[in-house]
Amino acid sequence: MIRSATSLLGSTGRAVLNAIGAIGAVALFAAQTIGQIARPPFYWREFVSACITIGYFSLPVVGLTALFTGGALALQIYAGGARFNAEAVVPSIVAIGMVRELGPVLGGLMVAARVASSIAAEIGTMKVTEQIDALVTLSTNPMKYLTVPRVLAATLTVPVLVLIGDIIGIMGGYLVGTSRLGFNAAAYLQNTADFLEFWDIASGLVKGAVFGFIVALMGCYFGMTSGRGAQGVGAATKAAVVAASVLILAANYILTEAFFTA
Amino acid sequence: MIRLKNVHKAFGNNAVLNGVDLHVPKGESMVIIGGSGTGKSVTLKCILGLVKPDIGTITVADKDIKDGDRDALLSRFGMLFQGGALFDSMPVWQNIAFRLIQSGVSTDEARALAIEKLRRVGLKPDVANRFPAELSGGMQKRVGLARAIAADPEIIFFDEPTTGLDPIMAGVINDLIREIVVEMGATAMTITHDMSSVRAIADRVAMLHDGTIKWTGTVTEMDTTGDPYVHQFINGLSEGPIAAIR
Repeated sequence: MIRSATSLLGSTGRAVLNAIGAIGAVALFAAQTIGQIARPPFYWREFVSACITIGYFSLPVVGLTALFTGGALALQIYAGGARFNAEAVVPSIVAIGMVRELGPVLGGLMVAARVASSIAAEIGTMKVTEQIDALVTLSTNPMKYLTVPRVLAATLTVPVLVLIGDIIGIMGGYLVGTSRLGFNAAAYLQNTADFLEFWDIASGLVKGAVFGFIVALMGCYFGMTSGRGAQGVGAATKAAVVAASVLILAANYILTEAFFTA
Repeated sequence: MIRLKNVHKAFGNNAVLNGVDLHVPKGESMVIIGGSGTGKSVTLKCILGLVKPDIGTITVADKDIKDGDRDALLSRFGMLFQGGALFDSMPVWQNIAFRLIQSGVSTDEARALAIEKLRRVGLKPDVANRFPAELSGGMQKRVGLARAIAADPEIIFFDEPTTGLDPIMAGVINDLIREIVVEMGATAMTITHDMSSVRAIADRVAMLHDGTIKWTGTVTEMDTTGDPYVHQFINGLSEGPIAAIR
């Protein structure tokens, strides 16, 4: 009895210490990445390539996610609003819901699934095949060459993806509202425009930038610290997606608290 | 040129290097032999700064590798990795000219130099536009060799240069390494357990076992030495001071 209690305490203690160690390592990695951004050289080619891979190629998945979410949101709000004769709020709630919450969060999660995994797998494979060691022997800092361009590209392109997702999501609500729920097209758009404020949109874009930073940072961190072999790279890829997703949701709560409860 | 003094390195409880002392004079081709897991790769990585020794000093041209500009130090080195370590996101010519491209050399100039180095290692210019995944193992080794010599380094490291190659291709790579090292007047360090590589490449041989250098000498001395470690290793004997099961 005493032995099993001691064992439980021991394993709990080890888990807590490991968690603290991991948080410290990620924080240090983030600080090193930020510290390297302003220092030359800057690899423009890698940056442009990362912008295309992370931003442009994520457009279809973010767009489709936003379109269906906007449509479903319109249906849900209409059904919920009908309980107290407030069906007319559909355009404004769809717009606010998309730009404040669903656009950035779902966009961030979709980018996490698509980008954090591919970055972790790519860098992890580079690590196990000694390509990162090769970079060092060719006088190239892997942090500058691999991490900085990807983190910067994600931080700058995810807000753009979020903005496009917001527009597509609102259009999804508009299509459902006008075709299925009987809203007048002009009135729907007018309602959307009337109720949306600048800060609603800006807060979503700030969230997008933070989520983009998290996604690329997790991909790079777990790639750089990947274990050996296919199993190591697989574990790094899974850990990158899980960590990025959880951190996005946690950061979303913290940012929402900071932006809208003051 | 390269001197290691009392270098120790452990990973957790696993002590890999236990006081390595080694001197490689300028222009000499030193081959380190030893069984798998005896610390040969770690020794090379310590010299390159990829792994930090726990104790000991490593000097290159009488300068401690911990002092001074790291990029300047690394620019003196070229390295052929065991698996090639070619960047699979870029074509062969960009792999070879990577360092030159990063240092601001024009694309045309870098490409021309890459093709010249490809010819030097016996590959045709049309290989330049291919990606590493499209090459055979032997071609990848040659491209890796071309990348290692692209910037005319003073020191070249070869990590298991013939691993995974058929005997004919291994012979071709060994001959290329020997020719290039002599032609460039470079200092070379090779780690291998392929005895045909040792005989083709080495001026001097060092036997690494249990994290220490057990023996050094020329290839001729290697064949006649009474050192039990060297004797067992070069003759592939299961009986001797080196445990067969490690």
